[in-house]
Amino acid sequence: MSDLDKAIAQLRACRLIPEAQVRELCYKARELLIEEGNVVSVDAPVTICGDIHGQFHDLMELFRVGGDVPDTNYLFMGDFVDRGFYSLESFLLLLCLKVRYPDRITLIRGNHESRQITTVYGFYDECIRKYGSANVWRYCCEVFDYLALGALVLGASSELDPSGPMMDTTQSTMPIDDSELETEVLNSRGEVTMSTYRPRQRSSSTLSTDSRNISPPRDISAAPGQPPIRSGAAGTGASGDAGGSLSSRTGAVLCVHGGLSPVIDTVDKIRLIDRKQEVPHEGAMCDLLWSDPDEIDGWGLSPRGAGFLFGGDIVKHFNYKNDLSLVARAHQLVMEGYKEMFDGGIVTVWSAPNYCYRCGNVAAILELGEDTSNGGTVTRSNGDVGRSNGILGPTMGVRSPGRRYRVFEAAAQDTRGMPAKKPVADYFL
Amino acid sequence: MTRTLETIPADMASTALSSGLLKPNSISVKGFKITTQKLPILKADPIEDMARNLGIAPPEMIFGDNFITIEHQQTQWRIAFNAFDALDRVDKTGASMLKVAYSKEWQKSRENTHEGIKEIVKPFDWSYTTDYAGTVNPGSRAFVATTKPIPIELLKRPDPILFYDDVILYEDELADNGIAMLSCKIRVMPSRLLLLTRFFMRLDNVLFRLRDTRIYVDFDEMEIIREYQSRECGYETVRQTLATTRDDVPAVMRDPNRLSEILPLIEKRLERVTLKD
Repeated sequence: MSDLDKAIAQLRACRLIPEAQVRELCYKARELLIEEGNVVSVDAPVTICGDIHGQFHDLMELFRVGGDVPDTNYLFMGDFVDRGFYSLESFLLLLCLKVRYPDRITLIRGNHESRQITTVYGFYDECIRKYGSANVWRYCCEVFDYLALGALVLGASSELDPSGPMMDTTQSTMPIDDSELETEVLNSRGEVTMSTYRPRQRSSSTLSTDSRNISPPRDISAAPGQPPIRSGAAGTGASGDAGGSLSSRTGAVLCVHGGLSPVIDTVDKIRLIDRKQEVPHEGAMCDLLWSDPDEIDGWGLSPRGAGFLFGGDIVKHFNYKNDLSLVARAHQLVMEGYKEMFDGGIVTVWSAPNYCYRCGNVAAILELGEDTSNGGTVTRSNGDVGRSNGILGPTMGVRSPGRRYRVFEAAAQDTRGMPAKKPVADYFL
Repeated sequence: MTRTLETIPADMASTALSSGLLKPNSISVKGFKITTQKLPILKADPIEDMARNLGIAPPEMIFGDNFITIEHQQTQWRIAFNAFDALDRVDKTGASMLKVAYSKEWQKSRENTHEGIKEIVKPFDWSYTTDYAGTVNPGSRAFVATTKPIPIELLKRPDPILFYDDVILYEDELADNGIAMLSCKIRVMPSRLLLLTRFFMRLDNVLFRLRDTRIYVDFDEMEIIREYQSRECGYETVRQTLATTRDDVPAVMRDPNRLSEILPLIEKRLERVTLKD
């Protein structure tokens, strides 16, 4: 057993590793992360996770529900630390797994992966308490600076393979002829609690041409003067078989912690950011980690005097322009664990159940399956330089990927090792 | 005196709830019935309903099913504390809107990129500051101004506590710029009770706020006294005050009990109601 495997075993048992080992781990992690672009490409299948916030025992529950690393390919959208009592154990375990299985786990940066925020919201204090000095906090913050800002999931299938069993209470749209399973919600026992179907889309050049003629452009954002494209480039799902084969071509899925930025209109612009720094209060990097979707038109300013809010039209436009079918983000607590907005153009995924040990909310992870309809060929060019010039512009619009949400509750009280927080009667005045 | 259910710790609530066991806790003492309920934060649909009915976005942690009530069974006098009524008293106009510490810096850096993004979305007092002092049931005898204070000395006595609970009504992290929290605690002794509803807000590097409502009930006298206090102080002033002490400054800045000793009193109201004929 290597030192790294020993460290993983130790951290899984919620026991910390020595400071010297943390230092070495952080050094290795930095070497690895520096090689990653600002936007990491991740091939489906992948399981996308939201905020963890130092809730170590719930992270263990997440792995139980979603499968272990490296069996399951994971993408964590930041906010590993702060608020919970086990930020160190949680973050160091994820980092160990990253170093051990770099291709099976992707970590991107959340707004809490910052020196300024961690000094206020718990991680700094936890490091001092558990290691007796700020050294480990410093090592971790150096790693934070190297974390990617986003990820692009490629090759996700538009259709889910149904998983069972159904519960008696399962809400479901009826499967109809030639329909595909679009979304499925499972509880932590693997039982389906909700599923939705949609008509299967046929992709043939004839059909797509016809549909263009009878329907308006799918989005006002279609660039003027852009020639209509009737088939994708060779080797992509869009090229399809002219004979009308079943297509499950889906656009890429962009994953960021917070949301979009008014100064970022293409995924490529994210790639140009100099990310190796503390999270700034200004600019695109700040927006990607801080902004929120809202039921508004266009862009708006948060009433707090800092931070952007963006509406459904912004998401639609961005997705169209970048050949995306979905933006997945975290950052906001949602009671049900996930929340889709804007006709499924964006989803919030929240993975910290019973947040702060008192909210009583459930958590969720989002599984995207692998598109095998092209023999597993992934449309590599998605999101790459030159991709947004229309060469791969969708003819009928990209399909959103099939989405399987696994919902889970907080780890049982007795395994959490938490000090019991009974309200102790006190003689307050 | 009867006691219907043991107090369930906050972190047990979700487990208890999933098995459908959680019921309100209550106790009756000398004709007064005290009830508390603690449930998880609201789900998406009730949050949307609440947002529509309030006209503002609720805090991110909204315990809309939680409450504490005190009622006098014989006279039907009743006061309740719940999140909706507390939030209904938050300024919804944006006239008293605070700005986060780095707002100027943020906005300055965006001068070139704002380009048309000038509109503040749904302005309101996002700090959720409320002067909520409870919801008195219509038809209940009304409070009148008084000079009679809450008898602190009687409350300092170590009388047995028959019933105790601590109920959170809402909390918001102010987008990681501090904390706003409204919570409600109550202790019931054989002859009296004390309830404290406290709004606590820390806007990092900007401001501290406390809004305290105390309800004191003397069971034998059938008298209720309500005291409202508003305290407030700039962040830097508090920091400097604490810097001269040996205290752990960040810890005190998280502790409303300690801060209430430091923040200056801005406003105070005293009212009373007697239920005797």
